[in-house]
Amino acid sequence: MPDTAATAATAASPVAHSATNTAADVGPSIRAVRLPGAGKLLVAQIRYQVRLLLSSGRAIAVGVGLPVILLVASKGKDTRPDVAGYAVFGLTITAWSTYGVRLVAAREDGVLKRWRATPLPRWCYFLGRILATVLVAVLAGAVTVAAALVFYGSHFGDGPATQLTVTAAFAIVAVLFLGAFAWAATATALTSAIPTVEAAFPTLIFIYFPVIIISGVLFTNISEPQWLSTFATYLPAQPLMDAVTHAVRHAAGAPFLPVRDVIVLACWAIGGLLVAIVIFRWEPHRSTQRRAARIQQ
Amino acid sequence: MAMSAVTVDRLTKQYGDLAAVDEVSFDVPDGQLLAVLGPNGAGKTTTLEILEGFSAPTAGTVRVLGTDPHRGDRAWRARIGLVLQSTSLDAELTVADTLSLFAGLYPAPWPLGEVLELVDLTDDAQTRVGALSSGQRRRVDLAIGIVGRPEVLFLDEPTTGLDPEARRRTWAGVGNLTSAGTTVVLTTHYIDEADHLADRVIVLAGGRIVADTTPGELRRRGGPSTICYRLPDHITGADLPPGLARHLDTNRRNLIIASNDVAASLRELIGWADRQHLDLAGLEVGPPSLEDAYLATIGEPSTSEVHSHA
Repeated sequence: MPDTAATAATAASPVAHSATNTAADVGPSIRAVRLPGAGKLLVAQIRYQVRLLLSSGRAIAVGVGLPVILLVASKGKDTRPDVAGYAVFGLTITAWSTYGVRLVAAREDGVLKRWRATPLPRWCYFLGRILATVLVAVLAGAVTVAAALVFYGSHFGDGPATQLTVTAAFAIVAVLFLGAFAWAATATALTSAIPTVEAAFPTLIFIYFPVIIISGVLFTNISEPQWLSTFATYLPAQPLMDAVTHAVRHAAGAPFLPVRDVIVLACWAIGGLLVAIVIFRWEPHRSTQRRAARIQQ
Repeated sequence: MAMSAVTVDRLTKQYGDLAAVDEVSFDVPDGQLLAVLGPNGAGKTTTLEILEGFSAPTAGTVRVLGTDPHRGDRAWRARIGLVLQSTSLDAELTVADTLSLFAGLYPAPWPLGEVLELVDLTDDAQTRVGALSSGQRRRVDLAIGIVGRPEVLFLDEPTTGLDPEARRRTWAGVGNLTSAGTTVVLTTHYIDEADHLADRVIVLAGGRIVADTTPGELRRRGGPSTICYRLPDHITGADLPPGLARHLDTNRRNLIIASNDVAASLRELIGWADRQHLDLAGLEVGPPSLEDAYLATIGEPSTSEVHSHA
C-alpha cells in the first residue's frame, strides 16, 4: 500500500507518524506480535468486573449490608440467629439477583456484543464475569460471618458446641465459593431466557424466594411437609447452609464439609455452566426486534 | 499487487421472506474510506454486521483481510476495529480506565495519550463514562474501536444523534485515521458526512446497491449547478437582456440560473456585466445539491444506475 504509507509519512499528526514508524520498524506485518496471554486477560477481566460491582453502591448495600442488619436485628433474649442462613442470604442475593439483573442489562445495552467483537476469548469474558461475582458474593457471606463473630463471639450458632476455628473459616470460604459459583452459573443459564431488563428482576425473584423459603434460609421455624424439605436438599441453598453449619460445628465433632452437600453444589455449578455455555446469548433482543421492524416498514 | 481489505461478493441476507441485503457486491481497497449511504432499512447495518462477523450471510461470500468474518479468530479480531450503532459502555469506569482495559486485549495498541488526543478527549481522561455527554461517549466508542491499531475499521452511524460541533470533532478523528492508512467502512444517513469523509460512496436502497461512486460524481448526478447574483440597487430587471431576464426570481432582484453549462451561462452574464460596468460582487456559483442527487438515486433503484469502481 504505497499510497497510504506516503500519506502517513507526510502527515503532521503524531499518530500518523508513529503508524509509519511501526510499519517501518516491525516490517510489513506487526501482527507477528503475540496476543496477550489468556491468564493475564482473565485476571484483568476479574479485576474490572469486581470494580464494576463494588462501585455499584446499591448492590453492595443489599448483598453485604442487609444480611448484617438482619443478623443484628434478629438477636433475641434467648435465641441466637442462624448465621449460616444470613450468610447464604447475602451470598445468593449477590450471585443470583444482582448478578442476573446486571448481566441482562449488559446484554441489552450491547455491552456483551461489544466485548464479543474484541480479541478477548469469549470464555474469558464469561468466566471473568462469573468469578468476579463469586468473589463479591463470598465477600458478602464472609462479612456476615465476621459480623456474627463481632456481635456474638466465636461461639455462635445454635449452641455452645459451635465454634468458628481457623480451619472452619477456610472450609466456610471454600463452600461459599462453590455455592456462589453454582448460583451464578445457574443464573447465567437462566438470563438467556429473559428478554428484557424490565423482566429480569421479577423473573429472578420469582424463582429466588420460593427456593430461599423452602430451604429455610431466612425462616428456620416454619413447618413444611417432609417431601418439600427433602426436595430442598437437592436445591443449591439448603446444602450451602448445611455445609456452613457443619463447618462451625466441626470442633464439636461434625463432619467437615459434608460430601453430599458438596456434590449437590458441584452439580449445580457444572450443570449451570454447561447449559449457560450452550444457550448463552451475546446479542441484545431489542436490536433484533428493531431491525426486523425496520425491514418490515 | 494491492490487496482489497474487504471483498463482498453477491452477499445476500434473508430474514424470513425478506431480503435485508440482496446480492450486494463491492471491494474496498486498502486505505480507502468507503461510506455506505442509505435510508433506514436499506441494509446498511446488516451488511456491516456481517463484515464484523456478528452474523453469517444467507448466500454469497465475504472476506475481511482475507478471512471469513463469521469464522474470524482472535488474531483476526485483533486486526479489525468497530463502533456499533449504539453506545455500549459500562458507565462506572473512567475514560482512561476503559481505554486501557481494551488496549490490554491487543498485541500492539496505540499509546493511550495518542488515542485520547485523536478523539479529543484528553481533558476528560479521568471523567467517568457515565458523566460524559452523548457526543463524548460516542468518541469513547471510537477510541475503543481504534485503540488496537486496526487495519480495518467499521463505523456504524458514528455521528447519529450528535450536535454539529461533536460531529466535526468525530470527523476530524476519523480523518486522522485514514491519513494513517486505516481502511474504513462507515454507514451513515448524512450526505454531508459522506461528502466530508469518504473517498467513495455506495448507496443502498431496499438491500441493493443503487450507486457506487465518488461524492463528486454522485453530486453531478443531482442536476444542474446554480449561479446566483443579486442585482445592485441601480439595476432593474429591464436592464437585463431577455436571455438573462427569464432567470429573475419573483421579486425581480435576484438572478438564479440553473445551468447545465456553467461556462456558457457565466460568459453571458460576464459579457452583460462588462457592458454595464458591474464588478459582479456577491456572485455565487453553487454545486448541485448532494442531497438532491442522493434522493434522486434512492428514488430510482434501477440497475442502470449501478457503476462498478474496481
